[in-house]
Amino acid sequence: MRSTPWICILVIVTMVFMAVFAPLLTPYSPIDQTLRDKLLPPFWLEGGSMKYLLGTDAFGRDILSRLLYGARVSLIVATLALTAGGGVGLVIGIVAGYLGGTVESILMRLVDAAFTFPAILFALLLAVTMGQGLGTLVIAISLLLWASFARVIRGEVLALKQRDFVALAKVRGCSEPRIMLTHILPNVLSTFMVLVTLNIGVVVIAEASLSFLGAGIPPPTPSWGLMVSEGRGRIADAWWVSLIPGLAITALVLSVNVFGDWLRDRLDPRLRQL
Amino acid sequence: MSGFIARRLLQGLVVLVLVATVVFFLGRLTGNPADLMLPEDATAEDRQRLIEALGLDGSLFKQFVAFISSALKGDLGTSLRMRQPAIDVFLSRLPNTLAIIPWALLLAMVVGIPLGVVAALHRGRLLDRAAGTIAVLGIATPSFWLGIVLIFLFSVELGWLPSGRMGGPEHYVLPVITLGAFLTAGFMRLTRSSMLEVLESEYVKLARIKGLSESVVIWKHCLRNALIPVLTLWGVFVGNLITGAIVTETVFAWPGVGRLTYEAVIYRDFPLLQAIIILKAILILTINLVVDILYAYVDPRIRVN
Amino acid sequence: MTVRVNTNEPQLGLPAALSRAVAPEGSIAPKIYFEAVGEEEFRKKPIGSGPWKFVRSVPGDRIEFEAVTHPHWRGRPHFKNLHILQIPEESTRVAMVRTGEAAIASISPETVLSAGRGGLEVLTIPGTMQAVFQFYGAWRPSVKDDPITRPRVRQALSLAIDREQIIEHVMAGKAQMPRPFATFGFTDSLSVDRWKKWSDDAYRYDPALAKKILAEEGYPNGFVLKFANVALPGTQFMISIGTAIADMWTKIGIKVNMKHYEWGAFPPMQMGEQPNLTGWASMFRTAGRPDVPWRYNAAFAPDSTERLLGDTGDCQETCRKFLEIYKAVINERDPAKRTTLNDSMVQLIADQWIVVPIIEGMGYYAINKKKVGEFAAIPGRHELGDVFERMPHPDEKPWKN
Repeated sequence: MRSTPWICILVIVTMVFMAVFAPLLTPYSPIDQTLRDKLLPPFWLEGGSMKYLLGTDAFGRDILSRLLYGARVSLIVATLALTAGGGVGLVIGIVAGYLGGTVESILMRLVDAAFTFPAILFALLLAVTMGQGLGTLVIAISLLLWASFARVIRGEVLALKQRDFVALAKVRGCSEPRIMLTHILPNVLSTFMVLVTLNIGVVVIAEASLSFLGAGIPPPTPSWGLMVSEGRGRIADAWWVSLIPGLAITALVLSVNVFGDWLRDRLDPRLRQL
Repeated sequence: MSGFIARRLLQGLVVLVLVATVVFFLGRLTGNPADLMLPEDATAEDRQRLIEALGLDGSLFKQFVAFISSALKGDLGTSLRMRQPAIDVFLSRLPNTLAIIPWALLLAMVVGIPLGVVAALHRGRLLDRAAGTIAVLGIATPSFWLGIVLIFLFSVELGWLPSGRMGGPEHYVLPVITLGAFLTAGFMRLTRSSMLEVLESEYVKLARIKGLSESVVIWKHCLRNALIPVLTLWGVFVGNLITGAIVTETVFAWPGVGRLTYEAVIYRDFPLLQAIIILKAILILTINLVVDILYAYVDPRIRVN
Repeated sequence: MTVRVNTNEPQLGLPAALSRAVAPEGSIAPKIYFEAVGEEEFRKKPIGSGPWKFVRSVPGDRIEFEAVTHPHWRGRPHFKNLHILQIPEESTRVAMVRTGEAAIASISPETVLSAGRGGLEVLTIPGTMQAVFQFYGAWRPSVKDDPITRPRVRQALSLAIDREQIIEHVMAGKAQMPRPFATFGFTDSLSVDRWKKWSDDAYRYDPALAKKILAEEGYPNGFVLKFANVALPGTQFMISIGTAIADMWTKIGIKVNMKHYEWGAFPPMQMGEQPNLTGWASMFRTAGRPDVPWRYNAAFAPDSTERLLGDTGDCQETCRKFLEIYKAVINERDPAKRTTLNDSMVQLIADQWIVVPIIEGMGYYAINKKKVGEFAAIPGRHELGDVFERMPHPDEKPWKN
């Protein structure tokens, strides 16, 4: 894939911008209700106005504002979950792949168990035990991610182990932790970056699905998944309440994935297991 | 080969025990289901009676021991809500979920594999990216949103298809599309990358030198070899489908294990929850084992690992 | 057939309780069959008094009934098969009614409006419930300095709510202004007109007065209110009402800490010392009923689940007064005197603002007229969803004489 996916990059940058500058971009609070103004259509439809550019929901809350603040939620959850889950997966993958033997066996068995355990179910259980909230959501999604990171990174490390520069380092008497840190880690970083990019979509969808099931960020804080869920009863007459956040989710995940595919192709086309 | 199988079986068993333990303790932490089943004006004695009747009294450890010993006898407890053996409830719903899975996989393959081939053959050009985008649309669209939109379009507005529940073939269409959509990308990606690998291999270069026509080269030689890794996806995907059909089954009111699982969590039906997770784990481990064995049979390098 | 019920003491609520209009108790079942097959088998294959015969059930999915073929004292049903299906997703339910796969579906008020399209009739049954907010554990010493322990503060919270807006926008116009807690218009055990007048005034919207009262009580800048938003089975719209009133409280300067609970998580919190609910406001509801005392007992008696006035170890003035009146009511044989006593019980609670009604709601159904035709509904416990989501109260011991 030679050509840079400019559209995707633009979409991603726009959404990050929306998330970061949300309060400056809209006069409304995302949770302020004006019941009289409920279910107004976006400005380009009949009945819409410039007052609420993308219309309002069933409580008269401005959809554009909720979209912007919802981008924040997606950004925060994605950043935290990818750092935690990805980070843990990275470490475990390196350690398991490099050290091999019993350590690897045990760690990989844990990875298998994680794959067998229904992730959404675990998230539901957590939400129900610990109560809904950002912390619970991040923990639940991290648990979803770490195993796939670990597995892929370990595969990479297994291949890297055989390379000359590692053998050289061993001969020179470097300690194992040092080798892992200074030789292995930098070389798996590109794989890690691709994994992160490709998993942003997973996180966004997971958050949306959990919100749909009632286990995500609690209302009235807007999250895109929650917005879709709240609007689903009115698809027939107030379709914008569900459709707009749904499109936002699709646009973001699509962009992130196409970008991730391009990235992987550029960095190392041999990364087929992704 | 038998050593390989034995090793994998043992590993599977360890995983199973881990899963069962986690499930048991986690489930208990979420609260006492007796409270859920009492009417608004029940007294404290009513509650105690119910707790005893359901076997929820006694220390956590005592309950765990009881659980393990009956599990080994093949009794995974009785669903609190349905008042039937949990295994029976699970098994009665499993066929419903299994009924849509092959179709979803088929749809994903029929769409994803050709897209992957096209992408590989036109690598780096517009068609590659277009194919990739179409496939990724499947992952990018949240399944509950897709399901609801499909119901609205095809059931309500057009009236062509029913809006939910199990029934004749027309009831399968929308759930299968919803479920299969996000698998498409996986098939497409894997087909593309393994096609790419095969296209550049020595074997193919040899076939070309031998003068075989391009289409024979592609379809007969490349594709067959490229599809071998795709086998492994079956294991992963079926696992995903079995556990991830929760949202689709809820939207389409499909009486399968996904919906059963969700309701078991909401209603604190511990025994059912435990049984579902353990049985699903067994199912997934078995499928993965079968796939791994198939793969090892086809590709001997794997056995050595 | 005559059924004779013997009680130990006067049971005023008995006719209503047995009528299934109010509670699950009161269905007639064959004793010989019950004792012969035992509770489990009976639960799997129940036999009732008709005119519907149980055919089969798939737990968590559907229950199938068939009309009886012999003449029945309740009247023979006009159609042969009755299937009750559990469809968790409301849009799917509505879609099924639209396409004719289902004849009747329970819906929420917001769907009432959009259901007007495409061959859907909407049936509303009035007076089936009241959505309320109530305060748990306000009598406990641990919260004695909290703002919510003061009746006037609670009253201010009520004045901050624009009920007309909620009726119009959250309930799509399909609800009405409430009377005091658990009182409805279709009874002669209370002075209905008096209560209508009282509630029209008491439950008005007056945010300015609300703020004034808060200032007088020492909270000119508002305070932090913990609020549990929850919906009981079958009335999912309670969540929307809770969301709306939380915003209305915010507008008079209250900082609302709203926590959303699935019904599955809520009942356990009412047990014991109620640590997670003490000092909290919470959404709740009551079913429509002709008799008030029994429901008040369930909420205010010191040995009830909710224990909103006090418990057996700590029953203060209001709690004791309630017990006094309640005892007098259930022992009073003269209907006129009983009405007076009921009135005083309602007044006692209403003045406390411990349970505040928000709206009087209805049962909402979407009907496919082509499949079902015209029929008149009878008031009763309206929530189809409720039937499915609650298990019957387990009775372990078959009757012994």
